[in-house]
Amino acid sequence: MSVAVAVTVLFWVSVATLAIGLARRARLWRTGREADVEWAGLLAVPKRYFVDLHHVVARDPYIANTHIATAGGAFAALVLVAINYGLGLYAPVLDWAILLAAGVMLTGVYFVWMRRRHPPLRLSGGAWNRLPYTLAAFALGLALLTLVPSQTLSAGIAIAALALLLAGSAELALGIGAGGPMKHAVAGLLHLAFHPRPERFAGVRSTALSPLKLSNHDFGTRKPSDFLWTELLSFDACVECGKCEQSCPAFAAGQPLNPKKLIQDLVAGLSGSNDSAYAGRPYPGIPIGSHHGELSAAIVPKLIEAETVWSCTTCRACVEECPMLIEHVDAIVGMRRSLNLTQGEVPGTAPETLSNLRETETQGGHARAARYNWAVDLDVPIIEPGKPADLLLVAGEGAFDMRYQRTLRALVKLLKAARVDFAVLGERERDTGDTARRLGDEATFQSFAKRNIETFASLDFKRIVTSDPHVLHSLRNEYPALGGKYTVIHHTALLAELAEQGKLQLGKSPEARALTYHDPCYLGRYNGETEAPRALLRKLGIEVREMQRSGLRGRCCGGGGGAPLTDIPGKQRIPDIRMADARDVGADVIAVACPQCTAMLEGVAGAHAEVLDIAELAAASLEARP
Amino acid sequence: MRYPSIFTPIKLNQLTLPNRIYSTAHAEVYAEAGGMPGDRYIRYYEEKAKGGLSMAICGGSSPVSIDVPQGAWRPVNLTTDRVIEPMARLAETVHRHGMKIMIQATHMGRRSAYAGDPWPHLVSPSGVREFVHRGNAKAIEIEDIRRIIGDFAAAAKRVQASGFDGIEISAAHQQLIDQFWSPRSNMRTDEWGGSLENRMRFGLEVLTAVREAVGRDFCVGLRMCADEFHEDGLDHEVLKEIAQRMCETRMIDFFSVIGSGADTHNTLANCMPPMALPPEPFVHLAAGIKSVVDVPVLHAQGIRDITQAERILANGLVDMVGMTRAHIADPHIMKKVREGREDQIRQCVGANYCIDRMYSGSDTLCVQNAATSREATMPHVITPAKDARKRRVVVVGGGPAGLEAARVSRSRGHDVVLFERNSAVGGQINLAAKAPQREQMAGIVRWFDLETKRLGVDRRLDTEATPEMVLSEQPDIVVLATGGRSFTDQVANWGAKDGLSVSSWDILSEKVAPAENVLIYDGISAHAGFGTADFLASRGATVEIVTPDAKVSDDVGGTTFPIFYRRLYAQGIIPTPNFWLDRVYAEGNKKVAVLRNEYTDELEERVVDQVVIENGITPNTELYTSLKDRSLNRGQVDLASLYAAEPQPALQEATDGERFLLFRVGDCVSMHNIHAAIYDSLRLCKDF
Repeated sequence: MSVAVAVTVLFWVSVATLAIGLARRARLWRTGREADVEWAGLLAVPKRYFVDLHHVVARDPYIANTHIATAGGAFAALVLVAINYGLGLYAPVLDWAILLAAGVMLTGVYFVWMRRRHPPLRLSGGAWNRLPYTLAAFALGLALLTLVPSQTLSAGIAIAALALLLAGSAELALGIGAGGPMKHAVAGLLHLAFHPRPERFAGVRSTALSPLKLSNHDFGTRKPSDFLWTELLSFDACVECGKCEQSCPAFAAGQPLNPKKLIQDLVAGLSGSNDSAYAGRPYPGIPIGSHHGELSAAIVPKLIEAETVWSCTTCRACVEECPMLIEHVDAIVGMRRSLNLTQGEVPGTAPETLSNLRETETQGGHARAARYNWAVDLDVPIIEPGKPADLLLVAGEGAFDMRYQRTLRALVKLLKAARVDFAVLGERERDTGDTARRLGDEATFQSFAKRNIETFASLDFKRIVTSDPHVLHSLRNEYPALGGKYTVIHHTALLAELAEQGKLQLGKSPEARALTYHDPCYLGRYNGETEAPRALLRKLGIEVREMQRSGLRGRCCGGGGGAPLTDIPGKQRIPDIRMADARDVGADVIAVACPQCTAMLEGVAGAHAEVLDIAELAAASLEARP
Repeated sequence: MRYPSIFTPIKLNQLTLPNRIYSTAHAEVYAEAGGMPGDRYIRYYEEKAKGGLSMAICGGSSPVSIDVPQGAWRPVNLTTDRVIEPMARLAETVHRHGMKIMIQATHMGRRSAYAGDPWPHLVSPSGVREFVHRGNAKAIEIEDIRRIIGDFAAAAKRVQASGFDGIEISAAHQQLIDQFWSPRSNMRTDEWGGSLENRMRFGLEVLTAVREAVGRDFCVGLRMCADEFHEDGLDHEVLKEIAQRMCETRMIDFFSVIGSGADTHNTLANCMPPMALPPEPFVHLAAGIKSVVDVPVLHAQGIRDITQAERILANGLVDMVGMTRAHIADPHIMKKVREGREDQIRQCVGANYCIDRMYSGSDTLCVQNAATSREATMPHVITPAKDARKRRVVVVGGGPAGLEAARVSRSRGHDVVLFERNSAVGGQINLAAKAPQREQMAGIVRWFDLETKRLGVDRRLDTEATPEMVLSEQPDIVVLATGGRSFTDQVANWGAKDGLSVSSWDILSEKVAPAENVLIYDGISAHAGFGTADFLASRGATVEIVTPDAKVSDDVGGTTFPIFYRRLYAQGIIPTPNFWLDRVYAEGNKKVAVLRNEYTDELEERVVDQVVIENGITPNTELYTSLKDRSLNRGQVDLASLYAAEPQPALQEATDGERFLLFRVGDCVSMHNIHAAIYDSLRLCKDF
């Protein structure tokens, strides 16, 4: 048997092995719940891969180029081998092409190897560390095979080449089916095809949680098989690059959450194994090796501890950074829903907040009638049925906080200065249910949404404005699925619009100190609004000293997702880290646009930059007008 | 939510107030000739409005009738239509900042002195003389009653016409309505006296007439006392009965309740509780009234702290808290609370400088805030100098004058160095706070201490400044506030140099221990003399206090000397007025004090263990003398500019560290009080 035939045999054996492995893997994925899948997604994979995925990967040019060379070379080589050897053509010209592809692949592998010599901490080791060698073996085997003319091919070299090929094929064929690192290639491509949020590929910032069908007894994710099958598939796409880990505020604060480990634990749950094979950094404070998962066993606490699930601020920084477009926050909220709805196990003061919501329709247990107490002397109209207003101002829970009332008073002053026809809900305003939803209390959220939608239906307004990005996100992005469709605008966007139209005459800000702007996650990442606040600051003549993590990649203040309520201990507090970011750019003032960010950043102990809402800065400029 | 009770709006008739803190009616003594609120009056209330107060009731004891003398306290004259226009200006001004305003209207009856325009015959239910004001009065006649009821209604109409938000009828402090209520002053046997129903008749008719005049929707409150603290007066139970009956008429929108009668010196001192009294001493009485009425009850008296107010409101004791003196000390309390700047609130300490001045017919001023009621010229908020260059200001002395100079100069944006010889700032206030029940004087220092730190004044404590040290700072301006030293060497025969006598400072600073049998000679008759006597007695000494003045603590105001006298008698301190101290000599281990009677020149001797001299201070001038000739302005303050509250002309001169300006403030010029020291600095430094 010639060497070429041996390669053909090896090829087909590999294909068969891969097919069997994939079938077994697919059977695992398919234990997940049915998802609405558009098969046309398969056709869209090239675009999603080369445009959407590459957009994320390209933020790191080293690895982007390395991956292009390695994956591109490997893919080309595999296709060529399939043609030349799989079909038994044995055309020398194709051998040259294979040699070229192997060369490209080998170049890429060299850079993989280089990086793995001094890997960044975020990168997982373990099985991933063998990749440069197995892939190099594959490429070298092909090179040897195609480079050395068959006439001069000694038995020794032939065996060596075949051995190398065998090693490489094992990684690609056997490894994928057995859940090795290379499974990311197949799972990743399929994930692009069947992504649970396909609208992401249409340029939409898809951030709304999907409603649970409570009437169908859908109470969230208790066990791995409660995930959508497309979600289970997505976990296999993870390349353990640790970009999520690096961006996670809870991880940075030493809280027991690491999004990468979380996904890997879910993979372990999928395959019914324990986490001892995981070779990355652990959840801070929780040792590796003692957790084990089963497809149909409860995830918490055997596979993942509850503290991990409750540490998340839902800031979506991990999702923003993930080159494989995995949806970590959806997975976490899914697990929270189960913990909350079926076990009532919510830590910290969150149960108090949830019962406050149910009893008083406010988070703090306030009287609803007290929400606009701060506006009594400002002569703010209250909307009534039959009394229309252009703009409905929804103040949110911040209205009960004396600090935040200053922002609201500043906003009212600006709306009045711009002669905007606006009104507030007064006693009619109840919580949006946003915090309940982040805490997994989907039932309370849906009930609030239903009541609010009824309230809004009885009133006549054109747009809703709010200074609270959480209210904004809830009303703008999550109410539509429950039947409430409104035009909702954040106060910074409205003020920028009014200033642009000349209705709001802003003077130069008297603020002379160095200023930075902190993007609220629910405004920036959740709603893509990073420009209006900056435009407004520019209008005030303020130059923003940007922090390293800003805009869509801004660092969370720690206030999202009910995290201040669940209050999982860490080594330091997230807002302290954010305040240090501001200090690093020498800012004396940190401009904010969210009541949560205001409260979290002002809560930083010791001397720190002054926290001022953009509305406050703008209102101060009214006084400075000539 | 912080201060949830304070920031819960409240309705008074048709008014909605954004928070539960207000300022009660007090005699401002600011009204212009004829009892018209003028610029100063309006600015005083505008400042409170800017500061976020929900409501002010102005014009304490503003008379509705022309037979009430108006000379002494310059109230607002509600007897004439001429008052409508200036009152309307006041209302319009404060409304612009969102504050509501009401006025207190009254007839004072016998609570006045006839000797002044219009030289009236005062009226009182039974013509019984009032003690505090030497108020001789005739028994009121039915014609007077009818006239005065009509006057109340006419005054109320004027208040309404001026755009005010309401009117408060006073039946407190023993004014005419409560003179009718109280058996102390009403011994009538006709339908206006005798039974409670009869005694209440006048007040009810006044309210009926007022309500008729202003209609249902105008806010009308009643100010009343909840216990006169007199055996023969109205007690709490009777006053509850009165309040309940008044409330049942549905004519009253709120009750403003105080504790204590006011027609003796001793009860008067309770009304505006000085620092010697415990916090909120009478809130339980207001709560008693609240238990029998169903309209809001408002209460002030010794509530000086915002958390205290919150607690009182949260406990449901009353519905609104008056913080009147607190707002005299700092009109921006509510703004600071809203902005989370509570630690920047200049808190009233209950020194009662304001009210003690008022009772002597002087304008109300604050011991620690020289800007209050001087809003036209003196800023409450010091803003950085706009065009002036950054100067280097050296202040020597960390007493009230120096602290204010440092605070104001720093707030103007200059680099400020403050030298203080002692290890803590405060100067003589620290000594004043040593006296029993005067500890809260330290609160004045606390604020300056916090503010100078917050603002970043370069404070050099434990550092006695020499001319070389001052000059080495390369100052543009030097402000000397070096104070003085105890002036025990004014009379050589007092023997201070020879150790025959010691100073009040020696005692208060505990440099010298009190002896067993002590004579204290008080040549000043202000707070320090009796404070030292009390300090000595509290440590077991037998004390005699001698003064050439007509009475002990003669220069201490009407709400403070009664506190001193309570303690004087309780401690067994012997008061010996009308004697000079001529000489002290030693006899064995005893001291003999030779006293001379002011009026007979007779000499008396006292054999004691210790003679303590309180004779005020003599200025420290050493530093001034050595710097004067080196300064550009030879240490001179341009008086015309200073008194006109204008910048010192010398500020135009170029200064560079070698060439500097030199000014003096406070006691290092001549002995002044705390207010005067602070005012010296504010008016000088506000234009740096």
